[in-house]
Amino acid sequence: MTAIIGAGIDRVDAALKVTGSANYPNDVAYPGLAHAALVRATVAAGRIRAIDTSAAEAAPGVLTVITHLTAPRLDRGPMTLLGPSPPAPIQDDRILHHGQHVAIVVADSPERARHAASLVRVEYETVKALLDLDDPRAEVTANPWNLDTDRGDVAAGFAAADVVVEGTYTTPDNTNNPLGLMSTVAIWHGDSLTVHDSTQWPHNVRTSLAKIFKVPESGIRVLAPYVGGGFGAGLRMWPHVILTVLAAREVGRPVKLVLTRPEMFTSVGHRPHSVMRFKLGATRDGRLMAIDADGVSPVAMEDDDYEPVSLCAATAYGCSHVRTRDRQVRLNIPCPGSMRAPAEGQGNFGLESAVDELAHALGMDPLELRLRNFAQADPESGLPWSSNALRECYRLGAERFGWSRRTPQPGSMREGRWLIGYGMAAVSYPAYQVPCQARASLHRDGSAFVRSAATDIGTGTYTVMTQLAAESLGLDVSRVRFDLGDSDMPYSPQAGGSGLTGALGNAVHLACRRLVGDVLDLVRDDANSPLRGMKLDDVTVDQGRVHRVGIPEQGEAYSDILARHGVEELSADGRSIPPRSEDLGMAVAGAFGAKFVEVRVDPDLGLLRVARVVSAIDGGRVLNEKTATSQIVGGTVGGISQAMFEDTATDRETGRIANATFGDYLIPVNADIPDIDVIFVGEPDPATPIGTKGVGEVGLVGLAAAIANAVHHATGRRIRTLPITIDQLML
Amino acid sequence: MRPFEYVRAVDAGQAVALVSADPDTSYLAGGTTQLDLMKDGVLRPARLVDVTRLPLSGVTSTGSAIRVGATTTMEELAADPVVIERLPFIREALLLGASTQLRNLATIGGNLLQRARCRYFRDPAVEACNKRDPGSGCAAITGFARMHAILGTSDHCIALHASDVAVPLVALDSVVHVQGVDGPRGIPLTEFYRPPGDTPHIENVLRHGELITAVEVPLLPEGARSHYLKVRDRVSYEFALTSAGAALVIQDGLITSARVALGGVGTLPWRSWEAERVLRDAPATRETFRAAADAALEGARTLPGTAFKVDLAKRTLVRTLETIAGARA
Ligand SMILES: Cc1cc2nc3c(=O)[nH]c(=O)nc-3n(C[C@H](O)[C@H](O)[C@H](O)COP(=O)(O)OP(=O)(O)OC[C@H]3O[C@@H](n4cnc5c(N)ncnc54)[C@H](O)[C@@H]3O)c2cc1C
Ligand code: SF4
Repeated sequence: MTAIIGAGIDRVDAALKVTGSANYPNDVAYPGLAHAALVRATVAAGRIRAIDTSAAEAAPGVLTVITHLTAPRLDRGPMTLLGPSPPAPIQDDRILHHGQHVAIVVADSPERARHAASLVRVEYETVKALLDLDDPRAEVTANPWNLDTDRGDVAAGFAAADVVVEGTYTTPDNTNNPLGLMSTVAIWHGDSLTVHDSTQWPHNVRTSLAKIFKVPESGIRVLAPYVGGGFGAGLRMWPHVILTVLAAREVGRPVKLVLTRPEMFTSVGHRPHSVMRFKLGATRDGRLMAIDADGVSPVAMEDDDYEPVSLCAATAYGCSHVRTRDRQVRLNIPCPGSMRAPAEGQGNFGLESAVDELAHALGMDPLELRLRNFAQADPESGLPWSSNALRECYRLGAERFGWSRRTPQPGSMREGRWLIGYGMAAVSYPAYQVPCQARASLHRDGSAFVRSAATDIGTGTYTVMTQLAAESLGLDVSRVRFDLGDSDMPYSPQAGGSGLTGALGNAVHLACRRLVGDVLDLVRDDANSPLRGMKLDDVTVDQGRVHRVGIPEQGEAYSDILARHGVEELSADGRSIPPRSEDLGMAVAGAFGAKFVEVRVDPDLGLLRVARVVSAIDGGRVLNEKTATSQIVGGTVGGISQAMFEDTATDRETGRIANATFGDYLIPVNADIPDIDVIFVGEPDPATPIGTKGVGEVGLVGLAAAIANAVHHATGRRIRTLPITIDQLML
Repeated sequence: MRPFEYVRAVDAGQAVALVSADPDTSYLAGGTTQLDLMKDGVLRPARLVDVTRLPLSGVTSTGSAIRVGATTTMEELAADPVVIERLPFIREALLLGASTQLRNLATIGGNLLQRARCRYFRDPAVEACNKRDPGSGCAAITGFARMHAILGTSDHCIALHASDVAVPLVALDSVVHVQGVDGPRGIPLTEFYRPPGDTPHIENVLRHGELITAVEVPLLPEGARSHYLKVRDRVSYEFALTSAGAALVIQDGLITSARVALGGVGTLPWRSWEAERVLRDAPATRETFRAAADAALEGARTLPGTAFKVDLAKRTLVRTLETIAGARA
């Protein structure tokens, strides 16, 4: 049998998606479906003095208009793995950010709902909004996540350094903007509730709605079989979901809400801007003696977000003296939230730019500098890594890219009017995994059904879990169905933190192993079975059969065993528990990567083109070369986008987002994206049975720094502010 | 969007009568400006008169000029053999605009009348916009100005005219043919647009209900070389930060005829007679081009967000002229 794992098989849901038959939340229809539209605040801070809904209520087709004056009191959602839930919407007259939901309108068509929403008149009493990180009135929290690092003696480290560089790096707000507009459809049947939602975590939606609407979790079903992307926007249960569920209860009909693109900018989180300072000291031969990093980023009033932007400095390099400091400032802004590679995406830009500046100051090749400071063991715990192929990433990536052709002097490479620059950056992505469950069932015909309430936000979860189950059960992939996206299935955590494949994969693997064990239990005393009395370790599975290790003749087919024992279906559960460094005696490693970029700059017109990207990735075991490569390619596009395009602009006076459309908020078009070369290096990680490390975010991180470093190499100009635009490059 | 009535015009006379009689009625061509702004609540007409079925489409050539029917799409005009042969910078400007899908819908008449891309104009939640709501102020001047004008601005409005194809069209002294209730008239494109002054809501000299029927575009003289260069924040599907359209006739190293217009910088498609004056009868050298660019941008008024555009526009024009001069050899 050919290897199922690793093979770049096509997505099992590809045909459904390209033929339009995959049912995304905004495709869901019900008889009597009503449609909702939101009214959003047009000021950033203050109170609603008056709200007049009469014209909206009188508009054709309108079923209801709910405001803070008519809404029931709702509890705040629960504490979650990712922190507190967002506050419940429309509970009082206070306005905490521009774009805050102030009313929901329900009508018999989306157009009528939207028109009626435009007729709601709101008068505000405004106060001066807090919009600036530097505003002295703003509340600042030091060390908000308790992750500030103090290792060694930073002052002594700098004192011993020959060369010190220091820079301030800033990144702007970015908005996740998955292609699929976030949608919710809610239907009540008495006290039970069905919700279709663009979520990355169905169980969180279930738990949250149960608490908010005071109904048992057992009566709530959340469905998300297909989600049109997320990039983190679907990790939390945002207030618009609550409003839709509330509206459905009010009108006694199914209600659908599809956020508009402008609403996507204020309703479902964003990567917050950051100001970071990195200071590095090294000996003349390039040994890092000290790192001092601090970062500040904003958070919304009365809400929370996790963005320790300086933390990446703690573990990226083998350096004995490190200090990291993070601060969070409360502003009148829509709440930030995780966006693909939260904190790492920002922090890595600063850190890896600073490393490049250090290399330049030392007159050392940036690759060589990084090699010299490779962290042999986890710098924080001192434990050896469970796996770390960063040096192979450097070596193989550089080879593939042709790094040796780089001439060190900035501006020394050109082709016609184009200045050419080579730049690189390294990534050490943190490991993340949380408990997860899956259930595997074997049918009488020997085919299998495996499921878990996870989501596939485009990452390929359906496919790789089908492969894993097929391998663990010894079945052809065509004999396995994997299903997800339903809160009635076994518990799964969020698709986030690059942690789902590991968590779910190990749960699927365990469930399948248990299932094989249960099959052996059936024949334990079966005189007719060649497998009688055998234990899991005695057997292997292949082609729908269980047989003795090394002796294929001594075995039998699942279908024969089940038939003989009159068992219609056999099911087993698996629960994966994250590996712990303390137990393993190894530091559980995340993915590593080295990014190499060639840029071209027309210094006259300020044009910047990324000409080539090579990403060398240690993601542990690669389950499917094709979907894993797609993750890195997609991440690379996201990284180029962060480097050169994305910039959510908030009006300083009003707190309104000034470019909340795809006309104004730039993301790259195909013509901006060059050839993207991806190579996987490294070995299966021994920390978990399936050996993966998660490749969802490592693809994005590092691009911004690599591009900025390449720009410096091309032009001699150091760009410390993202995005890098024409006006910064006219030399 | 406000509910509206849709009428498909059967002939030009009917269309003109319908729209002229009612300030709350507008024309609809490809809809890529009109419907966008209606969905955003910026335009709220009670009725639309669709002109796309009127016999106004197609390009005819008279030998010294082409006549472009108002409902000819951007893609159709770009594919016209005379345009390809004799007016290549029009084709360049068209194909660097919008996207293929949009260009298949968007008409030339509609393109000339496209509305400001200003973010503050396009969001009715913003109170201060003199163009949308005369007398309310200008949010762009205190907000983010980048895709905004630096030439022809006023204290009341700095919105850009973002059309690409209007740049070569204005350089060529094209004439807009219109039909009104009082009959037809021709308006030189150089006199078609009005600078914002203190009435930025009035963008051109059309009377309400006047229908654009055609645009007449003189051909370039034999031996002329032209080029349109567009500089923008991404490679495609984005408006210009700066652009330049120019046509030169160069004989024995001397420029004998020059047409120059700029995009991305003007409140109207910006014909630069100043640059043309510098170029005419001057040697086709970098120094001349630089002097022309300096002349073209004289009088630019900037804000912090648009300050870089002066230099960028100059470099864009110099590069355009150099490309033309180089292509001659
Ligand atoms: C995403 C996007 C990107 C774009 N990028 C570019 C770009 O890069 N470069 C560029 O140049 N343009 C660009 N455009 C603008 C586009 O070219 C214009 O929207 C289009 O040309 C308008 O033509 P239309 O036929 O769709 O006009 P419509 O939207 O139908 O009409 C526009 C206006 O003209 C009026 N009108 C239309 N026809 C007539 C007529 N015959 N007589 C009198 N009045 C009339 C209408 O009443 C309306 O006010 C872009 C547009 C979009 C949406
Ligand atoms: S620049 Fe013009 S269109 Fe933009 S806000 Fe000011 S007045 Fe309105």
